[in-house]
Amino acid sequence: MNDELDSRGPHPHIAPLLRQYARDLAQITPSSDLDARIGALVAAGRDNSLPGPRTSTRGFLPYAVAAGLGTLAIGIGIFIGMKLEQSRDFLAAHPAPAHESAWSSADLTMWPSDSVSFQIPAEFSAQGKLVAVDPNSKNTSTRYWIDVVVSNDGTFRIERVVPADSKQADSIQQGHDHVAPKIQ
Amino acid sequence: MKTGVMKNFSMNTADDDSGCMARLAAGDSRALHELYQRHGRALLRFSSAMCRSRQAAEDMVHDTFVALLRERISFDPAQGSVFGYLCGVLRHRVSRHFRHQKRWVELDTSDDSSQAHAVDSGGPADEIARTEITAAFRRAMLELPLQHREVIALCDLEELSYVTVAGILDCPVGTVRSRLHRARALLTIRLASLELIDLQGVPSPQRGLT
Repeated sequence: MNDELDSRGPHPHIAPLLRQYARDLAQITPSSDLDARIGALVAAGRDNSLPGPRTSTRGFLPYAVAAGLGTLAIGIGIFIGMKLEQSRDFLAAHPAPAHESAWSSADLTMWPSDSVSFQIPAEFSAQGKLVAVDPNSKNTSTRYWIDVVVSNDGTFRIERVVPADSKQADSIQQGHDHVAPKIQ
Repeated sequence: MKTGVMKNFSMNTADDDSGCMARLAAGDSRALHELYQRHGRALLRFSSAMCRSRQAAEDMVHDTFVALLRERISFDPAQGSVFGYLCGVLRHRVSRHFRHQKRWVELDTSDDSSQAHAVDSGGPADEIARTEITAAFRRAMLELPLQHREVIALCDLEELSYVTVAGILDCPVGTVRSRLHRARALLTIRLASLELIDLQGVPSPQRGLT
């Protein structure tokens, strides 16, 4: 079929028109303007400073600038994010030691949150001072119980000193709820 | 009528063309000027057959040579001649030019429209056609679809071989033949409607038309 199409050639009536039009086209020569533009192109190519294509560069340039700025902004964002992530990892790997704090937590506590009380058996010595004694030892003089309260803020105070005989009754009357481990 | 440019090329010219392309690929811009001196006129003929105005045709030729300098040259001598390669580059520029033009709507100002009408109508202001008949013929050519216009320009006006045209259009030779047949038929009908030819007594080439 292609050979058949090929052998037909142009319509006999349009062949002369085609020839005439081809002759007109053959008369065309490049204008001096085109010669100058090609000459400038060759010179620019020699200087390695080629002009952009005439048709689309101007329209393309704003898009290229916008794309460049967008890429730059994304890059800066990624850089900042990486830095933040690195500092977070560093803090996690190197936590600040507790002894570096300027004030202990006990100093910063206004009120003791917990305390413990002790009962210390004591007797008057020969010098007239109240000294702690072994609770299993025999009484050589009147024995006393010294109620001591130690708080978790480091403070220490003597609540009261009571004779050992009246201790049980007093404690029940005053309703103490302290844990009172006895010193062995 | 068979006085096409390609048939006059000797083997030495083809070798020179390939040498120019090699020098151009190596960065020697003077090779571009040699290519322009050899093929610029033929390229301008093809471009003028495709474009409506002389200025647009020269712009397309200029853009072709700009593309040769700026873009990577992928010329393979085994696949065709340098002129065929240049025609392929030019054809892409023309195609892109018309795609770009479709985005714009021409303003209907009185001065511009009258001037444009003078050019389009193929009257005395036509820069390419030298007689009223060829101006009308050119107008009919420009009304053809781009793919039909280019196959007539290459086969019937430039008288390139079907193989060369197939290489330029990047399609099989059979496609070139069938496309040329349709293009000629469309042109014949268009010329008959303009009363430039008389179809009476001549078999009308209707086959293949849709």
